[in-house]
Amino acid sequence: MIRYSFITLLLLLTSFVVQQFLPAFTGFYQSRILLVLLVFLCAAVTVGQPTMLMLAFVGGFFWDAHCGIGPHGGDPEVYTQQVESLRFGYSIPLFAAMGLLMQGIQPLFRRGKWQFSAYLSGVAIFLYLAAEYAIINFVRGDFVLSKATLMQMLSTSLLTMLFSPFIFWLLFRIAKLCQHSINPDAGRRRQHAHRNQ
Amino acid sequence: MKPLNLTALLLFLGGVVWAFTLSDRAVREVQDFYFSAVSPFLKSGSQMETRARNFLTETRRSKELEVELGSIRTELGRLHIIESRYRDLEIENGRLRHALNYKKNTHFDVVPAQVIRRQPTTWWQTVDIDAGQSSGIGTQLAVLSNEGLVGKIDRIYGGQNRSSVLLLTDEKCQVSARVEGSTEVGILSGQRGRFDGSPLLRLRFLSADAKLQPGQRVFTTGRGGIFQPNIPLGTIDSVKKGALDSEALVRPSVNFSDLSTVFVVIAGDS
Repeated sequence: MIRYSFITLLLLLTSFVVQQFLPAFTGFYQSRILLVLLVFLCAAVTVGQPTMLMLAFVGGFFWDAHCGIGPHGGDPEVYTQQVESLRFGYSIPLFAAMGLLMQGIQPLFRRGKWQFSAYLSGVAIFLYLAAEYAIINFVRGDFVLSKATLMQMLSTSLLTMLFSPFIFWLLFRIAKLCQHSINPDAGRRRQHAHRNQ
Repeated sequence: MKPLNLTALLLFLGGVVWAFTLSDRAVREVQDFYFSAVSPFLKSGSQMETRARNFLTETRRSKELEVELGSIRTELGRLHIIESRYRDLEIENGRLRHALNYKKNTHFDVVPAQVIRRQPTTWWQTVDIDAGQSSGIGTQLAVLSNEGLVGKIDRIYGGQNRSSVLLLTDEKCQVSARVEGSTEVGILSGQRGRFDGSPLLRLRFLSADAKLQPGQRVFTTGRGGIFQPNIPLGTIDSVKKGALDSEALVRPSVNFSDLSTVFVVIAGDS
């Protein structure tokens, strides 16, 4: 269990590196594959709450380091209405909220129905982006939601969700290597069915 | 709730509070640490992106390039004529300045750079360029292309020769601007949620009775301490009058979807 949690953390940190190689698809509504978020969401459904919170903290912390932009600069007498930046650390509670959402269907995942978790990862990514965009609007004022932004959020969620089976496959492999079961109920069911035969 | 879960939750909340209360300097240090850790991968990642983009552009545009070459040759000829005229004016200007005993020195030193990565984050309009601290670049410096203002340097990646440019199309990039042929001065910035190739910019805080026409050119005023004066920004597209002030939409002079070579102004007249 500890070994699996540690490797999951390493996987999350590795996803930050791989994220550098994933550009935005300019021809497809500026969408992108949010690998870091996907790895976190898929891992969140396979671990307990303490580990999920630890992953949310690490993921959100470095995600803000990756995405943060600098201060406005310039003469404040000329730029009297400067545009606010998002506070560093805002992603941490958002990661945790999405992690808790994923853990809501953990019983299904434990029974071996990982497909539901794959679909939910797409929903969680959309909710994450929507929440992030809502925070930007709240901090900066003037609620603006263009069709392009909505399409960007939808296409990013869809595109990222397509890779969730691969991440789950990777997590199952890691769990097997660590001799740890991430869906114990499914294993018990299989054994029970085998005995009945 | 299990004691372990409760302890984890309390530790998590403590961590969130700590992260929220980090000073700007501490955040910069965290970012420097993060980017120095991923820097070897950043370089190869951007190389891959550049190669892929170049390959796609080359295959798509081989015929377009032939046509473009023809028009560039014509344009080059026209520019040669303008340049010779410009040289005459420069000589004449120098002679007149000498006659007036004009002492002011003019500086406009630029560092050329290539765009190596586009929009690395979800919401912010930024690009990465292959010039950084070792080229004498610091934050809050103006970035130009041959068409006009591109944006400003937002971040220098520590330990590597690259930096991040906040584009003019981003809402956070504000520029003090004036409209040619009028007394109107305002603040130009990008629009939120506009990610297409040529988004319109917002020129705000114009006077309520601003008499502006579509097509009028917009330039930097030089006020505000970041951008040099008289850099082209774009042309007026439309004007919306309000009760207290007016707002204009400006078509940028730079084609942001086709940025390749940019120039960072490391010293200029202000």
